[in-house]
Amino acid sequence: MTDTPSNMFEWIVFLATKYAGMFLDGTKITLYVAVVGTILGFVLGYVVGIIQDISINKEDFILKKGIIKFFKIICAIYVELFRGTPMIVQGMIVYYGLRQAGVEIGPIFAGILVTVLNTGAYMAETVRAGIKSIDRGQKEGAWSLGMSPLLTMFKVVLPQAFKNIIPEMANTFLTNLKMTSVLNVIGVSELFLVAKTAGGTYYKYFEAYLVIAVIYLVLCFVFTRLFTFIEKKIAGKKDYVLAVEYMEDGK
Amino acid sequence: MSEKTTNVIEIRDLSKSFGEHQVLRKIDFSVSKGEVICIVGSSGSGKSTLLRCINKLEKQTDGKIFFNGKEIKDKQREVNKYRSQVGMVFQSFNLFDNMTVLKNCMVAATSVLHVSKQEAFGRAIAHLKEVGMAPYINAKPSQLSGGQKQRVAIARALCMNPEVLLFDEPTSALDPEMVGDVLNVMKGLAKTGLTMIIVTHEMAFARDVSTRTIFMDKGYIVEDAPPSQLFSNPKNPRTREFLSRFIAG
Repeated sequence: MTDTPSNMFEWIVFLATKYAGMFLDGTKITLYVAVVGTILGFVLGYVVGIIQDISINKEDFILKKGIIKFFKIICAIYVELFRGTPMIVQGMIVYYGLRQAGVEIGPIFAGILVTVLNTGAYMAETVRAGIKSIDRGQKEGAWSLGMSPLLTMFKVVLPQAFKNIIPEMANTFLTNLKMTSVLNVIGVSELFLVAKTAGGTYYKYFEAYLVIAVIYLVLCFVFTRLFTFIEKKIAGKKDYVLAVEYMEDGK
Repeated sequence: MSEKTTNVIEIRDLSKSFGEHQVLRKIDFSVSKGEVICIVGSSGSGKSTLLRCINKLEKQTDGKIFFNGKEIKDKQREVNKYRSQVGMVFQSFNLFDNMTVLKNCMVAATSVLHVSKQEAFGRAIAHLKEVGMAPYINAKPSQLSGGQKQRVAIARALCMNPEVLLFDEPTSALDPEMVGDVLNVMKGLAKTGLTMIIVTHEMAFARDVSTRTIFMDKGYIVEDAPPSQLFSNPKNPRTREFLSRFIAG
């Protein structure tokens, strides 16, 4: 390229073209960290949320009661810590803390770890609220058939709670997609860091960040539509098919 | 403890308090095989709580419950086993909203009794036919009317082949037109010899179908007699007062 760009739009095009490969890689890493971090975070959130919902039965063995109590306390502390501190600080502490402790951890791995832990803490509360929102009658119906509390949880309560919190899960994912940007502080080469680098080379920060703003926007737009589609799919059909083979006397 | 082994359910000295408020006081009665017992009484008399205690959905404060002569303790595993043999039909149906009618009827048979899918399917279809709901196997509970839901709930309970079926005001949430459908199903069940304990406000049903009617008031069993006697010649003045409204209305 011989002549330098003369206005903002030319700069945007210039940066987007020159660093196309970097922006693409940044997008991939942003997606990778957000998707893997969110999914594992959801799993963690479900486990913690379910543990927090377990009620301690007076008739149980003292050991069983002790173990449940122990896990409940651990979960409570974890949720409190990770909801009470900013993700950017968690990133620094996890990354540098582990390094100081002699654990050679890559930035991407650390980034995913932080995303998982952060998502898990928020998700645990969402799951707990989802479980609480299910009418007690649903549980009583299951219990009255001899289903154990655990079986009731997995067959009846969780499937319904899951459906109710899908919008919140989608929300969490979109938040994560954008929150990965804070991971630039520990050197995760996601979109934000790419923009910082590209913009820094030519002192054209505004233009560089505009490029990634558009990329974030497009990603969120696409995923929002995807989630709406999934939600509709899971909601199922509004009508049902009469089993005519079991009809009697034209009823 | 139990003098007669024919008693399927035996309640001894059952009391239940919610904090300061005592709901059941020293309840004593037994149910033998094939009996259809209707429990009547005004709201707040403790009849629903009694039924919920029988199914262990409420823990009694005092007293014992025997099932086929064996005391039911509070251990979760024992309670689960017991509940799989004593079905319950609720006022608010409590069908699983996340499952179709068919799945509602199959889930407990496969996951609690561990019967095969084919066996569970066979039972589900048979009992759904019995209550006239077989064509609706693909419907979700939210797509059914109250009366239809309650009939499915009855079929669901029957799929466990229970020894006793408890009904907690099964028609109270239904509009008058649908009450008849559900009561007819219950009448049919009574004829099959199924042991049933029914908490109800349907006096005519209690009079015509039950083998014994229990009148409860303020947590006590006031009168426990065959319906022919209880409805035509109640001994207790409180029973008379309660029934007068029914007879007059």
